[in-house]
Amino acid sequence: MGKVIAVTGKGGTGKTAVTAMLIRYLVKNSGKKYRILAIDADPDANLADALGAKAGKTIGDMREFVQQSRFTASPDTDKQALLEAKLFEILLEEEGYDLLVMGKPEGSGCYCFVNNLLRAVMDKTTANYDLIIIDTPAGLEHFSRKTIPDLDDLIVVTDESRRGLTTGERIRDTAREIELQYKNLYVIVNKVTAGSKDKVLENAKGIDLLVIGTIPYDESLAKFDLVGDPLMGLPDESPAVQEMTQIVGKLGL
Amino acid sequence: MADIKLDISPMYEGERIRKDDLWVELGGPKADGFELSLSAPMDEIQDGRVTVIGPELKDIKEGSTIPFGMIFKVGGEKIEKDLESIIERRNHALLSYISGLMHLNQRYDIWMRVGKSLAKKGVTSWKEIFTPIIDLYKAEMPFIEKMEITIITDPAKVKEELAKAMAVYKTRDERAKGLHDEDVDVFYGCTLCQAFAPTSACVVTPDRPSLCGAITWFDGRAAAKVDPEGPQFPIPKGTAMDAVSGEYEAINEMASKRSGGEYSRMLLYTFFDAPHTSCGCFETIGFYMPEVDGIGLADRDFKGATPNGLPFSTMAGQTGGGKQVVGFLGMGILYYLSPKFLQADGGWRRIAWMSKGLKERVKAGIDEDMMAKIATEDDAKDIAALKSFLLKVDHPVVNGVTRKVDGKKITEGWVLEDISDEIKEKVLAYIEKTGGDINIDTVKSEMALSENQFMQVVEALQADGVLE
Repeated sequence: MGKVIAVTGKGGTGKTAVTAMLIRYLVKNSGKKYRILAIDADPDANLADALGAKAGKTIGDMREFVQQSRFTASPDTDKQALLEAKLFEILLEEEGYDLLVMGKPEGSGCYCFVNNLLRAVMDKTTANYDLIIIDTPAGLEHFSRKTIPDLDDLIVVTDESRRGLTTGERIRDTAREIELQYKNLYVIVNKVTAGSKDKVLENAKGIDLLVIGTIPYDESLAKFDLVGDPLMGLPDESPAVQEMTQIVGKLGL
Repeated sequence: MADIKLDISPMYEGERIRKDDLWVELGGPKADGFELSLSAPMDEIQDGRVTVIGPELKDIKEGSTIPFGMIFKVGGEKIEKDLESIIERRNHALLSYISGLMHLNQRYDIWMRVGKSLAKKGVTSWKEIFTPIIDLYKAEMPFIEKMEITIITDPAKVKEELAKAMAVYKTRDERAKGLHDEDVDVFYGCTLCQAFAPTSACVVTPDRPSLCGAITWFDGRAAAKVDPEGPQFPIPKGTAMDAVSGEYEAINEMASKRSGGEYSRMLLYTFFDAPHTSCGCFETIGFYMPEVDGIGLADRDFKGATPNGLPFSTMAGQTGGGKQVVGFLGMGILYYLSPKFLQADGGWRRIAWMSKGLKERVKAGIDEDMMAKIATEDDAKDIAALKSFLLKVDHPVVNGVTRKVDGKKITEGWVLEDISDEIKEKVLAYIEKTGGDINIDTVKSEMALSENQFMQVVEALQADGVLE
């Protein structure tokens, strides 16, 4: 399996925009060096939308389909094979990357078995990619179920405030509680206003967090967000995109 | 073609052919497709032959999606009809072993992709791909002595053969649905939920799916085949120690081992003697109500209190966690459709109450003569109301249950353990009022007594010398 990167952070920090920009950068600049799988694991965000992809059914829908298949499918159906096919069916094959949307969490009932199948299928799926980039909510729920693989890099996106930075600390704690394995924990500070970069870096250092990028507040990005245009179309010279060069370098990509 | 050597290995099994690498797409969501494995007499199979009906691989436009069918004919001394679907289910793995070939799903839902990498290798014909498949099958299933393959790419012919295949699938499904515990040699165990219920040791049989409902015998078989050391594992069943209650030595041993020695016996079809352990999230719960000598059943979606005053959640909390609790039992929905459903306890004749949603959901499994005799929350919300309902409908628990499986009478019906002065006075007043003209319906409705119980009181009154 390739490198697995999860991007997390609280709502409103621009975590999904940062994920989309990272994918945009890699698709446009890495010359198809990587087979990229993007996973939208945040039901409250919309990575597909930010990327300009048209999302349909989700992994949650397919899990439900398989859960119900005992009443509908033929008795000797191989449910793992069924789930595998259903997941491939909802895989969005976009220009330069593929996308899976996790979707809603389980309904009532026991999902031990179907989640076990899902783990096996996800292992098989992710093995086909060099780079897996996951947009995940700060609670890291999917990781506690082990339905998405362990990580190389865990990136926390925050705003520039001192309080925002402590999210990084909290996510470090959550990861420890759910025994999530990762090699590196990085912070990307988003929407940094002019002149505050040094203070942000100092604050981060104080709580032992490694900042790999400070994305300046960007008019063009704000405009894209305002109209809801996909961030794939961001101009190369936009300051936010410029900062991505540095971030990608620090990630070793 | 002799020069072409395909890369074949189990390591390619999860390989996906992405859109960019696609040569030809077969079947899938956008086109008809099917796979069918059939057994045939040895003299009707030309071993190793691959016949193609329709366009050859090299003549198909790159990037296109075509209707596709493949029929595998197998023969061998040990091959029976029942093996057909087992052989067919291996298609997914074995075809995927070929690097550059992707196979997903099964039967009429197959979805395959031939990758450009095969074109680069110089592959031009279907035969070059499918001849090695025959070798793979024979290597993995030595009982296959002869095998021949027909590949169909002609759209009209795919449609025609697909229709025929549908009829075969249907017959197979009907046979599979009629599969019972006595028809198989192996059951499957499951310890998937031991993380929550450390002593839970689930047994999955054709008649009895897992408590969570998610794992059928077929799922157990599929999972155990992939990883026999995994959470689903085979239990060679041996002979039953007691076929009615479903006691097997092999299951007892499994229960003892997997529960860490907590339990030494576990019976399949009963509530009252070493019942099956209950995990954490079973679909439904059964609860014994001593007041009526009957069993109640509630599903997880039923939020109210059952006649014994307890909601599903409370009972589930007391029973769950891998415990073996006489009088409470977690059960999966599909078990209700089996003729073995609680057969040792009288099956449906012992069921006194069900939550309405559950009753509706499993009505296909309920014995017809019991349908109107089982109360729901609309008929009875407490034990008193349940008693009058059961008296009114003449439920078998009232006068004693004769179990269907062997005709044995297993309960005596309702008996008053203590004949109180209060009940004696009531009966006496009733006899005086009616002048000895007893109407049993009135006895039931006015005094909530069964005929036997009424006679018990009359006899006690005679013994007291109050009545002649």
